[in-house]
Amino acid sequence: MSMAFLSPPPPPTALSSLSLRSHLCLRSHLTVFPRKLPSLFLSRSAENGAGEARSSATLVEEKEAEQESKENKGETTPPGPNLGSNGAALKAEELAPPPKFKDPRWVGGTWDLKQFMKDGKTNWDAVLDAEVRRRKWLEDNPEASSNEEPVIFEASIIPWLTWIKRFHLPEAELLNGRAAMIGFFMAYFVDSLTGVGLVDQMGNFFCKTLLFVAVAGVLLIRKNDDLDTLKKLLEETTFYDNQWRATWLEDKSSSGTKGKE
Amino acid sequence: MAAVSSFHPLHGHRHCLLSSSSSSRFYLRLRAHRITSTRRSPPSTAVPIVASSSSSRPLRAAVIGGGPAGASASEALALGGVETFLIERSPSGSKPCGGAIPLCMLSEFDLPAHLVDRCVTRMRVLSPSNRIADFGRSLQPNEFIPMLRREVLDSFLRNRAVSAGAHLLPGLCTSLQLPASESDPYIVHYTASPPSPGSLAGIPSTLAVDVVVGADGANSRVARAVCAGGYATAIAFQERIRLPPAAMSHYADLAEMYVGTDVSPDFYAWVFPKCDHVAVGTGTSIAKHDIKRLQGGIRARAGPKIVGGEVIRVEAHPIPEHPRPRRVVGRVALVGDAAGYVTRCSGEGIYFAAKSGRMCGEAIVRSWKERGMVTETDLKNEYLGKWDDEYLGMFRFLDLLQRVFYGSNAGREALVELCADEYVQRMTFESYLHKRMATGDWWKNLGLAWRTVSSLMRASIVGWEIERLRMTAVDS
Repeated sequence: MSMAFLSPPPPPTALSSLSLRSHLCLRSHLTVFPRKLPSLFLSRSAENGAGEARSSATLVEEKEAEQESKENKGETTPPGPNLGSNGAALKAEELAPPPKFKDPRWVGGTWDLKQFMKDGKTNWDAVLDAEVRRRKWLEDNPEASSNEEPVIFEASIIPWLTWIKRFHLPEAELLNGRAAMIGFFMAYFVDSLTGVGLVDQMGNFFCKTLLFVAVAGVLLIRKNDDLDTLKKLLEETTFYDNQWRATWLEDKSSSGTKGKE
Repeated sequence: MAAVSSFHPLHGHRHCLLSSSSSSRFYLRLRAHRITSTRRSPPSTAVPIVASSSSSRPLRAAVIGGGPAGASASEALALGGVETFLIERSPSGSKPCGGAIPLCMLSEFDLPAHLVDRCVTRMRVLSPSNRIADFGRSLQPNEFIPMLRREVLDSFLRNRAVSAGAHLLPGLCTSLQLPASESDPYIVHYTASPPSPGSLAGIPSTLAVDVVVGADGANSRVARAVCAGGYATAIAFQERIRLPPAAMSHYADLAEMYVGTDVSPDFYAWVFPKCDHVAVGTGTSIAKHDIKRLQGGIRARAGPKIVGGEVIRVEAHPIPEHPRPRRVVGRVALVGDAAGYVTRCSGEGIYFAAKSGRMCGEAIVRSWKERGMVTETDLKNEYLGKWDDEYLGMFRFLDLLQRVFYGSNAGREALVELCADEYVQRMTFESYLHKRMATGDWWKNLGLAWRTVSSLMRASIVGWEIERLRMTAVDS
């Protein structure tokens, strides 16, 4: 499953069309709902999980090489014999350490900011890039947690501007362009029909509602599929609630259809 | 998890919609009584009056299943003077379960301290990148999470129900015969366990009762008998691992929760301490076929902390994801796992099982005492109505949390980032330990909302960057 706030339309490759779908951004603070991704994502992590949890061979440790061959490294290992059997001991080789994340700048469970200096200031973009690489590595090669080397780094120390610069500006540009075009033509249209100028339009409640609808529409509906997506999302979010109300709904329907006995 | 606002009980849609027809279909005529209308249900019409003696026989109730739900229901029924029969198929069995109960359960159910194996005061949540959020900094000195063994708790509750007056019938319920008319009893067919442990064959027996409480768990036979409908289930799989003393001391009062796609795509994996071993397990709803790999994942993630341990037991159990469509059918009420009262996000079921059992038992006793009869409407209003009023908001909120924070690595990283915050921890403990939706300061709630949004956005941005890297790596 993957969750994206305002994800970009992926570049047109066959792979990406399977792996990324755009999600919708609802306006309240806690409502970013994930969608069930097709099996590609799960199967990819399944391969990696299998490779990691059961592998006992040591792997090349350079980060670059590992990133190229991050998918299954071609080793097929038989399933661990101890999984699921009673009374079996956890052998040490079953938990042989998977390749750990290594980077000269990752020191003591955090990024050494002194190594990211550029022109006397911290290069936060490089820090973010490094953190992205680290998390990607860990997604593909989950590491055992250890008490000796806890992870201390907090992504929240990276300043806001750095995050904003990554926030999919191309798509933001597209959407703003659409909104501007719609806005301009709607304002012209309403003005020609009713003679109400732009400033007066903004004072009118109905026009403000139209504006809201237009902005929401531009944000939410970007492809034809999005209407279906929205419907499915609505079903998913209300599914749990409907299960709880089901007992009571039965009474409602029975009172409607049955007369007095 | 953080609770942002007080929950709103759903009063509105239940008024004025319960018909008299359903209540007149299933009711028990035993006393000459006029049905008084409650605020929720309109008065029944055409109630035949059956004359009876002033001392009518006590209500007979069967409780199928003797876990926390069944035991609490039987205790409440027996204390109310109802003739209660508790049917339990393995009184000495132990159930696969995390074994954590909220603090309020100790006081609400008068559980003695010796039942508790461990008092967990530290809880850690580990993100996919092994970032740790240390719960426990904001625990008050008298707060902890009690961990106990299910066999110990279950037998204590059952024995208490028996001493309150319930009759324990060890045996397996095989079927439930529905009544032909309103005054007929329910016939419970069960295979009584043989009295002497040597003989293999059970004794088929029957029991005629007026009210049935189905507390027989996720694969409830009672639910099937009354066509209560099904539900989606998740599977919880765990291995009990006995650790060497040095490793065990690390878990003396610490419980760990791991999130990540490698350990569960839609839930969490855990390492919970028990009396002399740890339970290492994981749960999932969408990847059940892959549970062994996920279990391998959690063992790898816990890594050096559990090496050298010995697996002493492997167990798995289905966990309901949401309630059944019909929780009360006729004079049969479902409670606990059979009804589907397991929260999402934390997967808690023990407290809600016991509470719903008690609420159902009390509802039955109350309608019996007040009106001399128990009808489907009574059960729905007194038991389901009260239950939904109190807990629906909490269940819905936890469902939301699960969907947002367990669904993707971005959500999980954001979760751990948020859990490091003291206010979140405080709110979480208040809601979890006392089973009340905590309402904090509105200003702090706003701050929390802002932090939630920013954490989710940061984590999402990292997620997109990762996807972009993957795509460029694959394309190249």
